[in-house]
Amino acid sequence: MKSGWRQAQIGIFLAAIAVPPLVQTGIEVASGRTPQVLSLLRIRPSEANLRAFERELEEASWLAGPVRRAVQDAWWRGFGYAGDQVAAGRDGWLFYRQDVRYLVEPAGGDPPRDAWRAILDFRDQLAARGIALLVCPAPSKASIYPERLTRHAPRKVVSPTLDTLRRLREAGVETMDWFRLFQDARQRRSGEPHYLRLDTHWTAETARLAAEATGRRVLELGWLPGGMVDYHLRPVHVSRSGDLARMLGWEHPAVGLGRETVACHQVVRSDTGERYQDDPASPVLVLGDSFLQVFQADEPLAAGWIAQLARVLRRPVTSLVRNGGGATLVRQELSRRPALLTGKRVVIWEFAERDLRFGMEGWQRVTLPPAGPLPSAPIP
Amino acid sequence: MRALVAPMCLALAACATAPAPADPELSSLGKHEVTAELVEIPGPFPANDLYNYAFVFKYRVRQVHRGSVPAGEILVGHYNPRKARAAAADEESGKIGGRLEQFRAGDVHRMALEEPLDHHWIGGIIDKYFEQKGTRYWAVWTNPASR
Repeated sequence: MKSGWRQAQIGIFLAAIAVPPLVQTGIEVASGRTPQVLSLLRIRPSEANLRAFERELEEASWLAGPVRRAVQDAWWRGFGYAGDQVAAGRDGWLFYRQDVRYLVEPAGGDPPRDAWRAILDFRDQLAARGIALLVCPAPSKASIYPERLTRHAPRKVVSPTLDTLRRLREAGVETMDWFRLFQDARQRRSGEPHYLRLDTHWTAETARLAAEATGRRVLELGWLPGGMVDYHLRPVHVSRSGDLARMLGWEHPAVGLGRETVACHQVVRSDTGERYQDDPASPVLVLGDSFLQVFQADEPLAAGWIAQLARVLRRPVTSLVRNGGGATLVRQELSRRPALLTGKRVVIWEFAERDLRFGMEGWQRVTLPPAGPLPSAPIP
Repeated sequence: MRALVAPMCLALAACATAPAPADPELSSLGKHEVTAELVEIPGPFPANDLYNYAFVFKYRVRQVHRGSVPAGEILVGHYNPRKARAAAADEESGKIGGRLEQFRAGDVHRMALEEPLDHHWIGGIIDKYFEQKGTRYWAVWTNPASR
């Protein structure tokens, strides 16, 4: 009996390791593809190649998906754990784990040294062209709503970004403090939240709040006069699927219905009735990431931060926005497309605060191509 | 035994030398169609967690089948290169695809290309060659090709 049980265990173990690759190979051959396992014979056996091979096997596996879902489900039901990337908060709120790590894990630099140098260097390069820079870190949801993450968190946390902002100001860099803006707004208005429940981003009304404050600041600084274009607002509602819900998987029990209805205000030109559109000849260039993309390039279009800023400035702006690329990728692209700087007087640079530590491609110093003569023509 | 081995070898040889089936997507999508060698992979591919990125590779053009692409080296952005081309397309990328399963330096690809990259992909672009001037192409369809 004992020997029989041992043999059964050995059989189960051998089946567990042999059946998945055999079935996988069968599926690949049947669908006319070369069995992926054979690519192991073609690659150089370096650590990077083997890790990439492992990842590809995992992504292509017929078994990985169902097993992952079952394990996710068990972790969720047993421990409330939603996975490596997403943290499940209270009342159905989801948080990006990297945002939480940024808040709670000690930083390597004070402030992150590479970010600090890159921002000052960028400011100086723009100044040499006669262009002013306004730096705008976007607070994460966890910074503004810590108590939605866990009931043990205080209602207000001090983000490490505030220290970075203070030091930037001391170095003469103009900055926007959207943290205080949102926290003050929370105190004044306890109804609709400022961030989306299933998404990393702010609501359309919060984007509007941030854009209005930023536009007013640019005008107060006297960097450029208000323009001549009148815009008005058109109320509209959209149903938005959250990026955190998508990352977790629509079938995950933490996701629920996976969509939220969001009240937006589309920005419309009063003279033509057309939705807001960028103007490459604008004196204002906006650089940023997905915080500027939501409701602007996504549905309902022209209701995001950029259009709202243009409404306050009464002039369209030029924008270069890359999801997940606010730290370095947008500056790299700007250096490759320097014509975007032609005629510019102001650059407004937004990035997600977590990028101060976790920015894609880090915080590289990016050299802009040599500038031409400084602009002298009056701004229209 | 010999009677079995000989036909098997012949069958394998036939499989190895059989031309890849014609792919109408290659000849119809994008402005250009080229065969080019992937010169290098300039770093690890970005993680696919919150966003997918386009990753710029350096290619050496071997043959231009359609359109006008300069001879020599070109820079081509591939969407989400961690994935096989057949599985890479999503609602963000628009139509992309092909039979290529994996990117390896030294391999030769036949591609349908669009230009410029930033007109066809508005998400993040990892471009390790950002200091080099010139067009970035957007790979719409990518198949493996013989060397």
